[in-house]
Amino acid sequence: MKTNQKKAWLFLAPTIIFVTLFSIYPILRAFGMSFQGGSLIDLNWTELNNYKYIFNDPEFWLAIKNTILYAVISVPVGLAISIMLAWIIFDKVKHKSLFETTFFMPYVTSTIAIGIVFRYIFNGDYGMLNFLLRSVHLPAPDWIDDPAMSLATIIIFGIWTSLAFNIVILMGALRNIDPNFYTIADMYGASGKDKFWRITMPELVPTIAFLLTMNIIGAFKIYTSVYALFNGQAGVGNSGTTAVFYIYNKFQIVGTPGVAMAATVILFLIILFATFLQRKMMKKIGEN
Amino acid sequence: MKRIRLSVLFSYVILFIFAVITVFPFIYMILGGLMNFQETTSIPPTLIPHHFEWSNYAKVFARAPFARYFFNTVLTASVTTIVSLFNSLLGAFAMVNLRFKGKGLVQMVLLSLLMVPGEAIIFTNYNTIAHMGLLNTYVGLVLPFLTSIFYMYYLQSYFGSISSTIYKAAMIDGASDWDYIWKILVPMSKGGLFTVGLLSFISGWNSFLWPLLVTNEDTMRLLNNGLSAFASDAGSETQLQLAAATLTVLPILVLYLIFRKQIIKGVVRNDLKG
Repeated sequence: MKTNQKKAWLFLAPTIIFVTLFSIYPILRAFGMSFQGGSLIDLNWTELNNYKYIFNDPEFWLAIKNTILYAVISVPVGLAISIMLAWIIFDKVKHKSLFETTFFMPYVTSTIAIGIVFRYIFNGDYGMLNFLLRSVHLPAPDWIDDPAMSLATIIIFGIWTSLAFNIVILMGALRNIDPNFYTIADMYGASGKDKFWRITMPELVPTIAFLLTMNIIGAFKIYTSVYALFNGQAGVGNSGTTAVFYIYNKFQIVGTPGVAMAATVILFLIILFATFLQRKMMKKIGEN
Repeated sequence: MKRIRLSVLFSYVILFIFAVITVFPFIYMILGGLMNFQETTSIPPTLIPHHFEWSNYAKVFARAPFARYFFNTVLTASVTTIVSLFNSLLGAFAMVNLRFKGKGLVQMVLLSLLMVPGEAIIFTNYNTIAHMGLLNTYVGLVLPFLTSIFYMYYLQSYFGSISSTIYKAAMIDGASDWDYIWKILVPMSKGGLFTVGLLSFISGWNSFLWPLLVTNEDTMRLLNNGLSAFASDAGSETQLQLAAATLTVLPILVLYLIFRKQIIKGVVRNDLKG
């Protein structure tokens, strides 16, 4: 039966119109604008000047470096902690949903609000974190006001925020593992360690791959949490600037949209590349 | 036997520590919002305020138009939720129940658009909205978010699980597509729609970068932008900042605690996005 129900387009019309106007067009436009100079109301073609500019701009490289460092540190650490916690809740705890509810709380709350709270917890003088560190005689750095600590502060906050989503997704995946696997393993006298590495982990590979992709994409877009932690700044002296910060700054503050769009294109390519690389990697692991 | 118990104990300790790390900032926020200034900045830090300063909240409302921020946020989050749900519903219906030329192409384009980070297009969208003269308007705040490819996919999976014979039977009985959507599809996937609605509302409530771009008048700000501006203005008055943060977080936290099952279930179903 070959039918072509044209009325389908009618139902799809709102979605297609909005998607074309606010998703497809802006991608093309961003690409076009990355070759244009001048201000928003007076754009002119400048060939590759914007790209030349950002590649020669130390601030751009700092933003990229920070973003990549943030991604490669916070994502694996956050994921490892999440796997550990999800496994403990799944394996050992009776009131699973209570812990699930608790750990998921940060996901629904505003990054700005909770970032403000962390600004106090991180405060060098009267912050709770340094109070605890001092009480066990550990060094108490100035998390917010020391440029050397900016990235570390952002990473800690990022890990804290990322646990919520990861744990809930992992719990869902753990619940989906066929309980017979464990029953049979028990029959053969497998240890807890064996069960974890031989059953749980391989079964979790697709979920971990999914989380890795989501987390990496999320990490490359980091903006709001930096803004919240440093009160609208990108850390002292821009020490914690990120790719989106750089784009926002060039677009809105400095008023060079072309430069911002060139940076956007580069960011987009990095995200695509990271996703692609990570998928390839996970496929390899899945095959073994 | 003893070794196993020790490992269980160890697991519980880890779990407990992380649970405290997760919950503590919320507790500190709520308590800090009720302290006086000296208490929030004392060394060693105070945890329980000596006397609950409820007047902090009155001060927050007096200093900045938080009531207005609430109104703006509820309005824009509700409108984007309702309209995008409606649009996604229609689109998902067409993709699941109708056959047409180009369906594969539409599916493919939409799927690949899911990969595009919002931050990559938000600035050019600003440009579009500015050209339309919609800066500092409610329309400008909601327009780019009136449809959601993601929610459409989400609903597609719901609708796909409803047997197509029901659709065929409805057609034979002379029902129109519109009838089918409202009399069968919607009631049968109420749970899914509600969950998507909740998630959409929460993300609308927490939105930050877009409203920061398209509004600069105080009266048009949303909660999070108002809050961050307030935090900068109230600079040294830490207790007021924490009270304002509590105001922003508490409504959504209450919503979450009421509907936590649906919200968590909805997020877990996310897996189809991968």
